[in-house]
Amino acid sequence: MKTQFARKFAVYLLLTIAVSLMLVPFYWMINTSLKSSVELLRTPPTMIPAELRFQNFLDALIKAPFLRYLSNTVFVAIAVVAVSTAVTVLAAFAFARLRFRGKTLLFFAVLGTMMVPQEMLIITNFMTVSKLGWMNSWQALIVPYCINPFNIYLLRQTFKQVPDELYLVSRVDGVSHFRYLQKVVLPLSKSSIVTTMILSTIWIWDSYAWPNLITTDDGKRLVSNGLQNAFTSDTGRIQYELQMAAATMVIVPLVLFFLLLRKYILSGMDKGGLKG
Amino acid sequence: MLKKKAARQARYDRSAYLYLLPALVLLAVFLLYPILNTFLTSFKNEYRFLTGEFAGFGLQNYADIFKDATFGRAIINTLFIAFVCIPASMVAALTISLLLNAIERWQGFYMTLFYLPQVTNVIAAGLVFAFMFNSNFGLVNTVLGWVGIDPVAWIKGEGIAASPKLYYEAYARCLFILFVYTVWQGISLKIILFMGGLQNINKQYYLAAKVDGTSSWRIIRKITLPLLSPTTVYVFITSVITAFKAYAQVISLFGSHYGPPGDDSKMMITLVGYMMDAMGDYLTPGSISKASAAAMILVLLVMLVTIVQFKLTKKRVHYN
Repeated sequence: MKTQFARKFAVYLLLTIAVSLMLVPFYWMINTSLKSSVELLRTPPTMIPAELRFQNFLDALIKAPFLRYLSNTVFVAIAVVAVSTAVTVLAAFAFARLRFRGKTLLFFAVLGTMMVPQEMLIITNFMTVSKLGWMNSWQALIVPYCINPFNIYLLRQTFKQVPDELYLVSRVDGVSHFRYLQKVVLPLSKSSIVTTMILSTIWIWDSYAWPNLITTDDGKRLVSNGLQNAFTSDTGRIQYELQMAAATMVIVPLVLFFLLLRKYILSGMDKGGLKG
Repeated sequence: MLKKKAARQARYDRSAYLYLLPALVLLAVFLLYPILNTFLTSFKNEYRFLTGEFAGFGLQNYADIFKDATFGRAIINTLFIAFVCIPASMVAALTISLLLNAIERWQGFYMTLFYLPQVTNVIAAGLVFAFMFNSNFGLVNTVLGWVGIDPVAWIKGEGIAASPKLYYEAYARCLFILFVYTVWQGISLKIILFMGGLQNINKQYYLAAKVDGTSSWRIIRKITLPLLSPTTVYVFITSVITAFKAYAQVISLFGSHYGPPGDDSKMMITLVGYMMDAMGDYLTPGSISKASAAAMILVLLVMLVTIVQFKLTKKRVHYN
């Protein structure tokens, strides 16, 4: 009995140590974000800010102009989620339910592109976008993200689980395909659709390479691209306290987003993973 | 005859193409065409982006990048992430998962916390790590100071070009930072996947072992790990593929010149970094085709690993 208790205690202790180590970067980020620029230069650095300077967050928003980057990112994320959800739902429904020529071939084309690393597409997409005259435009930031083969695959699997009987009954009753999709399939597949929406949002929030390549205009930059160079002062010194305040503002919404929607995010990962 | 044709048409839903149209257009323009075009471009010698002219097809771009020392560094760093950082973070994730699996109370709470590194932003978190390793104001040197170790100039490259010894010391320090960040960044997803695998193991094996009085270490070695091996293979393969695409984390730690200040060899560049650099230089003739060749090397690596996965998991993987 005693050894069993000791063993349980050891397990909890080890887990607590591991969790603490993992959370250290969060602590250091928030700690730094609340220091004044004078306190930041103290060595050794203070473990808790002498006075909490929330002004840093305001400064970071105005100075970078980080508020601009944040609102750009939110705008792009909303646009991508709206368009890509529509595109994905329609295609997934066709693959799951409708009969048409070339279905197998087209579905294999979708599956095949899932295996190609997204990074290789950047080169040609860059050429396409510049030929379309889309450099520094919202279209370039939004349109290429609106197609996601993984989401098509995920929703097709979900839609296939809707019982055939419901479809047959609706056909007999003369309900159109679109109405059937709208009134029967969508309500039954809500949680999977929400999952794809969340995964798309996280995808945009985290994307770096593509937006960095096609935007040079400060007014169209996204957070990831704005973060790095925004906080170097005229003297070349990086204003770490502002940089960390900005990093906090990028990370905290995502963490809250996750805590609120945990169920959906984890179920999406079971079905095939996140990121790459 | 006519009737037959009508019957066949009735079996098809012609509206299906309308449903597919937006997806197929986007798929064709932004996914299928790029695959084909990048493949072709990688064989075009001295391809000019602005005019589309090129000096015939050949392997010149591949020969060029393989002769380039920076490309060599990119490959080495990418392989370092894939085959040093990934195994380390897998061992850590597996250990944590086994511990988590041994508890019931608070399990969800711990898992939520372990998941947090996954829901950060790769650039933001990288900047935090870079600042933790800051020589003057960083946490790492402060902690080292507590145990009496002198501050280390973690990200420093001034004067290293003159001496190979200094260069490799600076390189080792940067690799260490990359290692710490990559392990931290990748651990969450691995824990989630390992936990899923552990929960799928039939409890009866454990009960039988318990009846026989088997020690827990032996249970782990003889039951848990072998039954978990499909998950382990899956985690390894997907992580290695992600590692091949490493790019933003290096930028966030070392900046867009891929190295500590003072280094001009792009010491920390990755394969995708090499590709993006060549891309950014698109006005130089042959640069885009060099980027395409690098992209094809990436595709080749990913394909190679995918084939290994199929060989390893034959008959063992079940799709749901």
